[in-house]
Amino acid sequence: MGVLVKEAIDVPPKGGFNFDLCRRNEMLLKKGVQPPSFRKTGTTIVGLVFQDGVILGADTRATEGPIVCDKNCEKIHYMAPNIYCCGAGTAADTEAVTDMVSSQLQLHRYATGRESRVITALTLLKSHLFSYQGHVSAALVLGGVDVTGPHLHTIYPHGSTDTLPFATMGSGSLAAMAVFESKYREGLSREEGIRLVCEAICSGIFNDLGSGSNVDVCVITKGHKDYLRNHMLPNPRTYVSSKGYSFAKGQTEVLSTKIMPLREKVEVIEGDVMEE
Amino acid sequence: MEDVNAPHSMGTTIIGVTYDGGVVLGADSRTSTGMYVANRASDKITQLTDNVYVCRSGSAADSQVVSDYVRYFLHQHTIQLGQPATVKVASNLIRLLSYSNKNMLETGLIVGGWDKYEGGKIYSVPLGGTLLEQPFAIGGSGSSYLYGFFDQAWKEGMNKDEAEKLVVKAVSLAIARDGASGGVVRTVIINSEGVTRNFYPGDELPLWNEELEPCSSLLDILSSTGPEPMSI
Amino acid sequence: MASKQHANWSPYDNNGGYEKPKTLSDLLPSLNPNVAFQFSCRTCVAIAGSDYCVIAADTRMSTGYSILTREYSKICKLADKSVMASSGFQADVKALQKNLAARHLIYQHQHNKQMSCPAMAQLLSNTLYYKRFFPYYAFNVLGGLDIEGKGCVFTYDAVGSYERVGYSAQGSGSTLIMPVLDNQLKSPSPLLLPAKDAVTPLSEMEAVDLVKDVFASATERDIYTGDRVEIVIVNAGGIRREYTDLRKD
Repeated sequence: MGVLVKEAIDVPPKGGFNFDLCRRNEMLLKKGVQPPSFRKTGTTIVGLVFQDGVILGADTRATEGPIVCDKNCEKIHYMAPNIYCCGAGTAADTEAVTDMVSSQLQLHRYATGRESRVITALTLLKSHLFSYQGHVSAALVLGGVDVTGPHLHTIYPHGSTDTLPFATMGSGSLAAMAVFESKYREGLSREEGIRLVCEAICSGIFNDLGSGSNVDVCVITKGHKDYLRNHMLPNPRTYVSSKGYSFAKGQTEVLSTKIMPLREKVEVIEGDVMEE
Repeated sequence: MEDVNAPHSMGTTIIGVTYDGGVVLGADSRTSTGMYVANRASDKITQLTDNVYVCRSGSAADSQVVSDYVRYFLHQHTIQLGQPATVKVASNLIRLLSYSNKNMLETGLIVGGWDKYEGGKIYSVPLGGTLLEQPFAIGGSGSSYLYGFFDQAWKEGMNKDEAEKLVVKAVSLAIARDGASGGVVRTVIINSEGVTRNFYPGDELPLWNEELEPCSSLLDILSSTGPEPMSI
Repeated sequence: MASKQHANWSPYDNNGGYEKPKTLSDLLPSLNPNVAFQFSCRTCVAIAGSDYCVIAADTRMSTGYSILTREYSKICKLADKSVMASSGFQADVKALQKNLAARHLIYQHQHNKQMSCPAMAQLLSNTLYYKRFFPYYAFNVLGGLDIEGKGCVFTYDAVGSYERVGYSAQGSGSTLIMPVLDNQLKSPSPLLLPAKDAVTPLSEMEAVDLVKDVFASATERDIYTGDRVEIVIVNAGGIRREYTDLRKD
């Protein structure tokens, strides 16, 4: 124990988060300073197993409180050529955690020379999330096809995992799960699967305010994948004014003007400047 | 909304029963986050080695991590020993982890298995990291409905079928009364012959006092020819 | 938390500034804001022209992340030439509308005429201030024609502070819409002497077009705005109503 404590003091931390400012932030919070808001993907993400693989789906809205901060973001993240992962929760966390694990998987592939397995990605993700005890708020739907067949898992921010034939996550998960629970069956064809995934995502898009815009789909089969970015665009802009707008100059008063001449630093002595 | 973001926990019913020659483990299949059933077909009876299984309750994340570590330790142990790990070793490892990380963990486990030295054994490791060897053990939120029942119904020297029937009956009783338990009943029987896994779908479980027949839609109830509410 | 808001509430705080309360919890520190935010109707806009007034609101009603209905009208005709659009807590809005309708009926019996829009504006202010310490959670814009037939818009906070303006927006989409209106319809300061008309220079058609466009734009970025926009136009000919679809996500 003594050795352990000593090490913790002497050795600088190798990686992970830095908690140095936690005490300061706590103090600021007590004094009434509002902490910055994070970009949350109030999201609908889904996945299902069909007859020859896995289909993942996601909406494309990212919100910051009541404001939509990205109308067409990507929530289906690359993990490995045969594995993709949908992310809900804090956008930074889902992106960071999937990027990190996908690089670990790449290194593992270099070392072994074999295709990555879904269970490897699952274990890496869950052990990272568990070690942060839910503070890394990433809720994931992980899907892929490897040498052992198609796999679909859900991973919760606290690090628990489920293995299911169909799964939903995010604030629209209830709306999407309602669709799956009533219409999913075993042995769906590719077209039926895509249609069902789209319907589930649309159910989230239209009934959950945290989800919106377009439908992304990713179909993974043995040795092949199709990333169908913006597979459906169910929410075009409804009205555009026939005439444009002019924004009158002078709305902001100019107090002073100073113009600095741009001095050339490189002088070309001879020859054509843009030769070749 | 807040419910969906709550940590995943298994308001559960888990049971382990010894019988003449082995053990029967039983569990429901509901995993919930607050009000929402996140998984209605989860498997809470997890394999540790060929002959030792564990029933998990409490935080899903914590119980998965504990059983993953113990499985890893036991596989190492089995290789080093050159023979299957005993139930006692398995449960002691769980106790070790549960006790030394009691501030972090929120999980109660019931270990069950068979080994050639002691035969069928049930150990329960509740929240703080106590280790109890018991003839039968019940755990999870549904267990509070079962203590009286087990005091009455558990008998020494039951045979396999009697023991499994008892477990299925107990889990279905708990499912009926405990809102956090539900879905199907899963059992695992472990004895000298090996391991048998059984599955009892939710719509085939016995019905208890005042329980309604399971149905997929409200329309089924409304259209069925029940007694007219005002006919009497 | 509660004590902090109490501190803000003191009149000697806030750097001595004069501030309109924005939410109900600003007014009533002890009230649970979660309750107040349930069943909220969101965005409304009104624009006054020289001989018309356009009042518009989306028809979505929501609580939290769920949509309760996609076709709830939050525009209410209070008198022949005054129309009110309200965002806020639906039950309070409804109670306020009923109250005003009753008061207007009494007015008609006593005076045998319709109330004018500026009179209605004062009545609305009084009604809101009457519940100063348990306010209606309603943020209103009142639009119509004044006695001279000119378009007028009155904008309110929850406890009855009001002002005659050329245009206004209230509700969750107002932060997105108001800057656009400010740019396009910049009205003269109400403090100018001699007073200038607060009406906007646009024609009725242009104003309706602008309203449709700002709602479509607000819907792109505000999750609580959407489904449909209901536009009510008041002019000398009477009251006209039209709808335009918005995004439904």
